[in-house]
Amino acid sequence: MQASTSLFSCPLPCKSLAAPQLPGECMPFVRPIKLSWSSSLQRPVKFSSVTGLSRDLSMFSSMAFNPNVSEDTDDMYDELFEKYGKVVLRRSDKKPHSAEVDDDAESLAFAVALAKVASDVKAADIRVLFVKPLVYWTRFFIIATAFSRPQIDAIGSRIRDLAEKQYGKVPSGDSKPNSWTLLDFGDVVIHIFLPQQRALYNLEEFYANATLIELPFEN
Amino acid sequence: MIQPQTHLNVADNSGARELMCIRIIGTSNRRYAHIGDVIVAVIKEVVPNMPLERSEVIRAVIVRTCKEFKRDNGMIIRYDDNAAVIIDQEGNPKGTRIFGAIVRELRQLNFTKIVSLAPEVL
Repeated sequence: MQASTSLFSCPLPCKSLAAPQLPGECMPFVRPIKLSWSSSLQRPVKFSSVTGLSRDLSMFSSMAFNPNVSEDTDDMYDELFEKYGKVVLRRSDKKPHSAEVDDDAESLAFAVALAKVASDVKAADIRVLFVKPLVYWTRFFIIATAFSRPQIDAIGSRIRDLAEKQYGKVPSGDSKPNSWTLLDFGDVVIHIFLPQQRALYNLEEFYANATLIELPFEN
Repeated sequence: MIQPQTHLNVADNSGARELMCIRIIGTSNRRYAHIGDVIVAVIKEVVPNMPLERSEVIRAVIVRTCKEFKRDNGMIIRYDDNAAVIIDQEGNPKGTRIFGAIVRELRQLNFTKIVSLAPEVL
């Protein structure tokens, strides 16, 4: 609102010129001249950055045919650009690239530690997938096979203990052992399957484009 | 706004095509179910040669509704259809893939399995 008021207060002389004429009469004269349009076309970047404002402006100046109008609009634009900047380049709250890499590394260390624990409890065929490029809602998937429900329970409780003691994270997801037990740590999501369910759901195939992380220990 | 007798599409490859809601689970005497609610439903239409049968009673999670779904930031999501995903008593999806876009709030409601099978999360 502040921007629009400053915009309208600036070209007051134009308004007074246009005032005696009826808007319906002055429209056909003004359209072919397009003073304000040509000036804005010379500066495509500026035009696009203040689309909302320039629409108001073109409507307004089409009502008033003053040869000085282009200069006036230029001044007006300059003033506005000085005040608000030319274009919006990026969101200000976005994290820098290095911070994101750090976050990724932190999650990776966490994921590998959890995979190690699962391997200690004899989970088979552990895969750690970097799914961040595919889905925005998490970074890593750990997919593991267990051969019985007590084993799923053991893997789940060991992982919960480690995450809570060393990393201070509490998972959401299944609390009871299930044929597909899912532990959701936010950045890392762990899927523990029985062999039959693993073949049925076939998550590796669904996320086939994800990067497979090499694990430092043997499966 | 899903209530008993509402027909819903099925958004997975479990073999059912259409469901009819017969009960909303969670609270007694609630009138409408929304995205993320579990309902009891009966299968009205099936794909041939699939394990599920017509008139079978199952549980399903609502994943899409024509009624607008509002977020705290002012975003409003509404879909063209009412759709549900069939789950078993443990909460595992019956199908192995989900079709169409779903909302990410399902993850907060502990349906991360459905979210991880979905092709697009809004």
